[in-house]
Amino acid sequence: MMGICKANMLQWGQTWAEGVIEMQQEPVVRLEGVTKKVSSKTLVEDVTLDIPPGQVFGFLGPNGAGKTTTIRMMVGLTKITKGDIKICGYSIKDHFEQAIVHVGAIVENPEMYKFLTGYENLRHFARMMSGITEERIQEVVQLVGLSNRIQDPVRTYSLGMRQRLGVAQAILHRPKLLILDEPTNGLDPQGIRELRDYLRRLCREEGTTVFVSSHLLSEMELMCDAVAIIQNGRLIDVRTLAGVEGAQETTVETAFALDRPEQAQELLGGGTIRDGLLIVRLDRNGIADTNARLVQSGFKVYGIQKITRSLEDQFLEMTGSDQIG
Amino acid sequence: MGSFIHLVQNENMKIYRRARTWIMLSILAIVNILMPLLFHLADGGGNISLWESVLQTGAFTFFLCTIFSVVVASDSVAGEFSWGTIKLLLIRPWSRSKILLSKYIAVVLFSLLCTVLLIVVSYGVSAIFFSGGAGGSLMGERIGPRHYFLIMLCDYVDLFMTVALAFMLSAVFRASGLAIGLSLFIMFAKGIFNMLFNPERYSWAKFLPFMHMDLSQYLASSVGPGGVTLGFSILILAIYYVLFLVIAWTVFGKRDVAA
Repeated sequence: MMGICKANMLQWGQTWAEGVIEMQQEPVVRLEGVTKKVSSKTLVEDVTLDIPPGQVFGFLGPNGAGKTTTIRMMVGLTKITKGDIKICGYSIKDHFEQAIVHVGAIVENPEMYKFLTGYENLRHFARMMSGITEERIQEVVQLVGLSNRIQDPVRTYSLGMRQRLGVAQAILHRPKLLILDEPTNGLDPQGIRELRDYLRRLCREEGTTVFVSSHLLSEMELMCDAVAIIQNGRLIDVRTLAGVEGAQETTVETAFALDRPEQAQELLGGGTIRDGLLIVRLDRNGIADTNARLVQSGFKVYGIQKITRSLEDQFLEMTGSDQIG
Repeated sequence: MGSFIHLVQNENMKIYRRARTWIMLSILAIVNILMPLLFHLADGGGNISLWESVLQTGAFTFFLCTIFSVVVASDSVAGEFSWGTIKLLLIRPWSRSKILLSKYIAVVLFSLLCTVLLIVVSYGVSAIFFSGGAGGSLMGERIGPRHYFLIMLCDYVDLFMTVALAFMLSAVFRASGLAIGLSLFIMFAKGIFNMLFNPERYSWAKFLPFMHMDLSQYLASSVGPGGVTLGFSILILAIYYVLFLVIAWTVFGKRDVAA
């Protein structure tokens, strides 16, 4: 079973068809119709999701949407009411120990034993796994940049330092799946940036799949290869983010800044005018052709810009202004 | 998967790396030094023997022993919840029952350490002030090492039951304050319970655990409250002990860890 997982890691760099995630590999995590009910309230309803290996995968939703509940079920802290979650092929329900070996996680805040030093905290968690050497602990400490303070008690740490220690304990055993719940909470911009770079590096260099939840849309756009969007306990969309090669075949709204936009509109026989800009829906080549036509017809083109809707716009469009249910 | 010993090692680290633990052990040691000293000062004519001093000291300081063990037991599970570290502890390749077992073992080890500390210190200090030799008698039995050993054994059984109760309450309520309060309440209110529910009056009262936690009553007489025997008392204690642990393990194993 571990063999399968490793093989998947090696071929992580794959192309995605636009909008739809193409599954060619065994996913690292497979959520199968996961439902969580607490008394009569349904917190998570019938979530089915495959998380492919070697990606930074975002889990996006407003507060109270069921993100943390889903993560708690993924790591076995909370029982699954209906459905199952498989990690590297092992059910977290039936083969907890085999499944959880592949997981490193921070659920909510990185709470550590405050009366122990950072090092003792790592030693504590290292003892619970097999095969973590002293060198590995030192390596991880170095990696998260805590070398100078690791022998200090955790109660003297700042939130940022505790966050780093949290990441350190999660990656000690080189997990195939790293789950981080709202990892940027309380971090300053510098810390957020470092974390982001670090996660990308982990994903690229060690082939770790990173599953990260957030309600910060802008964060997700910068960090993730793909996002799943959850609202009111239901999965409402799964999509890939910018930088996808497939994007050049699609048409995007393009804004032309030029003199006499009305006449240009007549010439092209289409498009709309908004804020003095001519907006036309075009693909990559279309933009070049249109530009050439406009210039040849004597228009002065001051600027061309693609109007890419941010994830935030898409998110708000999808979730509307629904109340937390 | 590593070895189970490591889990116990972890739990020990979490007990002994806290300042609180060392304060409790120091208090226990100091009180056990002071008591024989006070006996020595109060004893003008050399009437107190070595074993009397040790026995009297133990009779008083064993309460502290129980209280401190209850504090550690109550914090064992509840502490992880209040610190939030339970979320990190339970996402390791260990079943919840094994993690709970490692905690319980560490708690029992601490209670044994307290008891041994009490015995060693109170004996050592008493030996400085009082000459050896068994003297005096209590309830018809000569006070000596054998009697002392039996008393300590009975006290430890009492402590062991109270700690098991505290550990269960800690696992069920996840609040150390409640676990400490309830188990100490029961420890001190045992006598009142025994009076209220006198087995002479209510025959069902002999099935309550409080009647049987103090086994030292059998040192004086072979018949316990309500005419029961030592064997019966031990059986009742064993049943309650298993019940406490079954409840602790079931609740801890099943319940969701939510915020």
